Amino acid sequence: MEKYLEILNYAIYGAAILLLLIGLYGALTKKSLIKIVLGLSIMDSGVHLLMISIGYLKNGTAPIFSPGHENELAKMVDPVPQALVLTAIVIGFGVTAVALALVIRLYKHHNTLRIDEIKNLKW
Amino acid sequence: MVGTPVLFIVIPLLAAFIIPLTGMVWKNSVRIIPGIVLSYMLILSISLLWHITETGTVIEVIAGWKPPIGINLVFSPFSGFFATLMIFLGLLVWVYSYKFKRNIDSEPALKYFILLMLLVTGSVGIVLTGDIFNMFVFIEIVGISGYGLTSFYTRRDSAEAAFKYLFMGSIASTFLLLAIMIVYSQLGTLNIAEIADKMPMMSNKLKVISLIFFMLAIGVEAEMFPLNGWAPDVYTQAPGPIGAAFAGIVAKAATYATIRVMFTMYDLSGAMDFLIVMGILTFIVAETTALRQDRLKRMLAYSSIGQMGLVMVAFGIGTKEGIFAALFLIFNHAIIKGLLFFSGSYLVYTKKEKHISDVNGMGKYLPITSVLFTIGAFAIIGLPPFSGFWGKLAILTAAADSKMVALIAIILSVSVLEAVYYLRVVNRIYFFPKKESMETQKPTINALIAMISLGIIILVIGFYPDLITGFIDRAAADLMDKTGYIKDILTINN
Repeated sequence: MEKYLEILNYAIYGAAILLLLIGLYGALTKKSLIKIVLGLSIMDSGVHLLMISIGYLKNGTAPIFSPGHENELAKMVDPVPQALVLTAIVIGFGVTAVALALVIRLYKHHNTLRIDEIKNLKW
Repeated sequence: MVGTPVLFIVIPLLAAFIIPLTGMVWKNSVRIIPGIVLSYMLILSISLLWHITETGTVIEVIAGWKPPIGINLVFSPFSGFFATLMIFLGLLVWVYSYKFKRNIDSEPALKYFILLMLLVTGSVGIVLTGDIFNMFVFIEIVGISGYGLTSFYTRRDSAEAAFKYLFMGSIASTFLLLAIMIVYSQLGTLNIAEIADKMPMMSNKLKVISLIFFMLAIGVEAEMFPLNGWAPDVYTQAPGPIGAAFAGIVAKAATYATIRVMFTMYDLSGAMDFLIVMGILTFIVAETTALRQDRLKRMLAYSSIGQMGLVMVAFGIGTKEGIFAALFLIFNHAIIKGLLFFSGSYLVYTKKEKHISDVNGMGKYLPITSVLFTIGAFAIIGLPPFSGFWGKLAILTAAADSKMVALIAIILSVSVLEAVYYLRVVNRIYFFPKKESMETQKPTINALIAMISLGIIILVIGFYPDLITGFIDRAAADLMDKTGYIKDILTINN
């Protein structure tokens, strides 16, 4: 039983990598442009989850030095990955917005969302 | 000193926010302010480049947090060389395209100059930053403004090219994040100098994995084979001057990132051979593909990819001479490919398909543009007395010094292919009859100024290479001095 609980501690990494792979699969195999954008977005989320889980501590506290909590440095979660993830989420949002704008443009131009029907350029 | 390195990033970003507001009051400010900002950045970087010859590397600590905790910007001879070159080219792209889109009231035209300015800012940021996560942020700034600029013309297939670029770009950024995270989880730092310092502590397996992720991510922007599928379409569909910006600014910044990661952060034996192999592959594949193209801009795009491959090879040689050659090639490629894109897009301006055969007989109708294109073509092949000659000579001597005879043979034989397809175009310009019923477009004054100044630089450097070899020499020495870089940054406290 102890052994299984040990594995559970690592389950979050597995979940993150699974998300990453699902996203990659979607982005590479789907034919609909919207689904490709979704896949890219899911891939991003996987990386974000992985980053957060690296800084995670069980029973950790917020990384703030407040009165009465001065000596809890060892228990504080690492704030750097969280700051990185916040930045990465904002960037991911921007890229998704640009991608969807391009999808709208492509739809107006070709009247279809299927990527195999849009091939004026060599893919 | 006019200012500090942080102004390279603060001023353009501030201007990018203000421009839409001033644009409501005075339409023309939309295109004038980016020019002022770029000129200011050029003055700043040239004065800093002079300043560091006396005092040594300028390191800017942001918000009082000293490295390795805080973010720092490094203006060293190496990064300063890149920054100055890219800003100069950015300013010329602005001069060239000042009247490219006459109707400023149309919505995309409002954004063109802002996006151009942000493209330059992002690239300069990649070069100056001393923090690996900041590099990611700047790569994304370059990426997003690049997607916007690619899809500038609504009537072409530009959205398709931009989507392709975005697809590659966002997968690349995911891998970049993964690589950064592996490094952070192992070494607990994001500062490039401290990572380089602590790198021996990382296990070899994770080193290789994270290096592969880095290369996958940066290779997309650096147009490294086989990650460069987006490049030809983007170069073809984007406005003409933006092709010059991609070749001269974005590809350069990504090459810088590759070299920083390879040389400074990872010091793996065998990684250099990997650079040579990838560079040679890129060079051969791109040049042979360029030979088969029938559209002018596509041909220029493949030629640009090939040149970047040659730069990789020169860095891979790894000696001081090799790095000198690489930096000289980078300088040449920026100014020559800029000139080729500038003049080439006027040669085929009025044609819809922009085939190579559309330049037939243009020598008579657009004499100045044709002469400038010819200068560019001769220079990029490496004929004396143009500046391209010295770059090719430098890489061949570097290879000879390292006893890499096979490399010399490959470079020379592929250069013949390059000569074939460029001379083919020049031949068509002067000795073929003009196609009937095709009107031509005379270049505007500002486009002429931009093109002629590039042509003059190519000739002057061709006759007096000593004008820039000093800077390149210092830059190469700076890159080789890895321990100096680490020490400079980590001991800034005093």
